[in-house]
Amino acid sequence: MEEYDYSDVKPLPIETDLQDELCRIMYTEDYKRLMGLARALISLNELSPRALQLTAEIIDVAPAFYTIWNYRFNIVRHMMSESEDTVLYLNKELDWLDEVTLNNPKNYQIWSYRQSLLKLHPSPSFKRELPILKLMIDDDSKNYHVWSYRKWCCLFFSDFQHELAYASDLIETDIYNNSAWTHRMFYWVNAKDVISKVELADELQFIMDKIQLVPQNISPWTYLRGFQELFHDRLQWDSKVVDFATTFIGDVLSLPIGSPEDLPEIESSYALEFLAYHWGADPCTRDNAVKAYSLLAIKYDPIRKNLWHHKINNLN
Amino acid sequence: MRQRVGRSIARAKFINTALLGRKRPVMERVVDIAHVDSSKAIQPLMKELETDTTEARYKVLQSVLEIYDDEKNIEPALTKEFHKMYLDVAFEISLPPQMTALDASQPWMLYWIANSLKVMDRDWLSDDTKRKIVDKLFTISPSGGPFGGGPGQLSHLASTYAAINALSLCDNIDGCWDRIDRKGIYQWLISLKEPNGGFKTCLEVGEVDTRGIYCALSIATLLNILTEELTEGVLNYLKNCQNYEGGFGSCPHVDEAHGGYTFCATASLAILRSMDQINVEKLLEWSSARQLQEERGFCGRSNKLVDGCYSFWVGGSAAILEAFGYGQCFSKHALRDYILYCCQEKEQPGLRDKPGAHSDFYHTNYCLLGLAVAESSYSCTPNDSPHNIKCTPDRLIGSSKLTDVNPVYGLPIENVRKIIHYFKSNLSSPS
Ligand SMILES: [Zn+2]
Repeated sequence: MEEYDYSDVKPLPIETDLQDELCRIMYTEDYKRLMGLARALISLNELSPRALQLTAEIIDVAPAFYTIWNYRFNIVRHMMSESEDTVLYLNKELDWLDEVTLNNPKNYQIWSYRQSLLKLHPSPSFKRELPILKLMIDDDSKNYHVWSYRKWCCLFFSDFQHELAYASDLIETDIYNNSAWTHRMFYWVNAKDVISKVELADELQFIMDKIQLVPQNISPWTYLRGFQELFHDRLQWDSKVVDFATTFIGDVLSLPIGSPEDLPEIESSYALEFLAYHWGADPCTRDNAVKAYSLLAIKYDPIRKNLWHHKINNLN
Repeated sequence: MRQRVGRSIARAKFINTALLGRKRPVMERVVDIAHVDSSKAIQPLMKELETDTTEARYKVLQSVLEIYDDEKNIEPALTKEFHKMYLDVAFEISLPPQMTALDASQPWMLYWIANSLKVMDRDWLSDDTKRKIVDKLFTISPSGGPFGGGPGQLSHLASTYAAINALSLCDNIDGCWDRIDRKGIYQWLISLKEPNGGFKTCLEVGEVDTRGIYCALSIATLLNILTEELTEGVLNYLKNCQNYEGGFGSCPHVDEAHGGYTFCATASLAILRSMDQINVEKLLEWSSARQLQEERGFCGRSNKLVDGCYSFWVGGSAAILEAFGYGQCFSKHALRDYILYCCQEKEQPGLRDKPGAHSDFYHTNYCLLGLAVAESSYSCTPNDSPHNIKCTPDRLIGSSKLTDVNPVYGLPIENVRKIIHYFKSNLSSPS
């Protein structure tokens, strides 16, 4: 790391002179020095290599300090315009950012900063982003910011070619990973107009295989409904899906509704819920829907009783 | 532990929740479902694969069920005086260097602490403290807003939201509301607007998401500066954030439905009086599915862990839906149990995410707001503004005697009304 001289800069105070200030933080001397320098340089709007170096030091100790991210962006934009090789300069900045990203998996600011850099970049590349995205998801497979950023990248680069396989991998690793399931839906929503009949059928098979593996898993059931809604005008597989869902609820529909203890266990309450929605949509099967919701309320998903009663009211 | 593909089907595992409260039994058996005798006391509940998700949940379940088991004969109660101590101390002493991480969130701390006090007892926020809040906020922004995370910091939507909420709690003490630069805040809000209808959280590299929209709309309604210019495109943005699951994500590109963003979207829709523009039925379904049978509290996303703060993020959204006549979609009783049994601890004041976690100001505030929501019923006359939401105690549920809370703003009802009326009437000086 290069040593810069800041001796000509008079640090601005970061502490207030309030008496009995609420929630005053006892900053360390080092923090006061760094922030004081930063405030001074910001007030002078100095866009220099030493200012850049200072922002890196501050981000290292206070990554959530958004003011510094903004300042750094201004510096980078300025220095980029003065550099001989813009691409090289921005790639170096992205390398630095990768390092920071790995050390701060929960940080908010990194991702919007990344987006701003890519928008600035003359020849941005999705390929360059993929390794860091993979590392971050390996570390925390449900990291919200990372998934959202990945979607942004797909749209920014108009590149969806890796997404279906990637989502499959993550679902293979953890079948309950709802982030991966929603990413899959993101893929279909964007591939909606180019998808073939074969692909649709394959996807349905994929969902059913995953449900078969673990029937009591909310993610694929919600996904199944979403997928059906997305392609409702393209395929008629209602009866196939309904038959499939019915295999997870035993014969509860034909049993009298007694006390919860008298009812048998079923493999999936989500199957019953799924069927209830389906039956509720058709007046001919409305009685089935009412019964399914009643069963959910008394036995299979009782904590959501209020919702099931609300559904029954809607049907009546 | 990673799922071992290939062997996994043969390792179909049967979980008996009745046993989970004790030492977690390793019940990995190769079992054929057809051969399980369902007449036995221990019944197979579900076929599962052991993955990171189930591992994490069992850890939590074990501690939660242990608490429910140990305390099942004890009527749960909010240890108000104990929590007050925690909050009072936070307002009395300086915070240690470890809290430097909150340096860019100073208005948030003021709001969380002041609001927690006021929600527990409307008299617990003293005039002296109010004056100190005002002093601090106007030191952060001497011009009266917009506000940054601390002195010398860039103005930020979240900081300004927290600052205006904190000022609402100060009841216009010493005429502090007249010091708010509403015109400046309005122009700044307009400058943050994006072509897609969203708002940047701050200039240059601020992120754009449903959170930013909620902050902007909440600020603008409390200060009576909500205009069509400001709300242009917002509804469309929000509509596109509701995904197939029924909840809302951060950005309009099939982001995963999330409790925090769902609250922001639902509250924003209430402010825009446009709830009928989204699929409310799906939102009800998604919200109700966040409540977990065994834990009794809410998780923020499908297949994620229970967490006390979602008591408000999800519970508050549900309360807003209830207020506007869409029905009541969760078990308030169970939520109350989770907050009172699992989010408090005997040795340490303040409220927390889950057993094993430390309390903090953020969770203290949102667990308390969640509790307030769990103990009340909400209503509103059709087409009325959300600041007129009415709150009545739910007689079927125990009472912690909390202050009535407006779920849209995360503030006591009376504070919301007061500040809105102030800026709607001619009492305020023109700025
Ligand atoms: Zn939390």
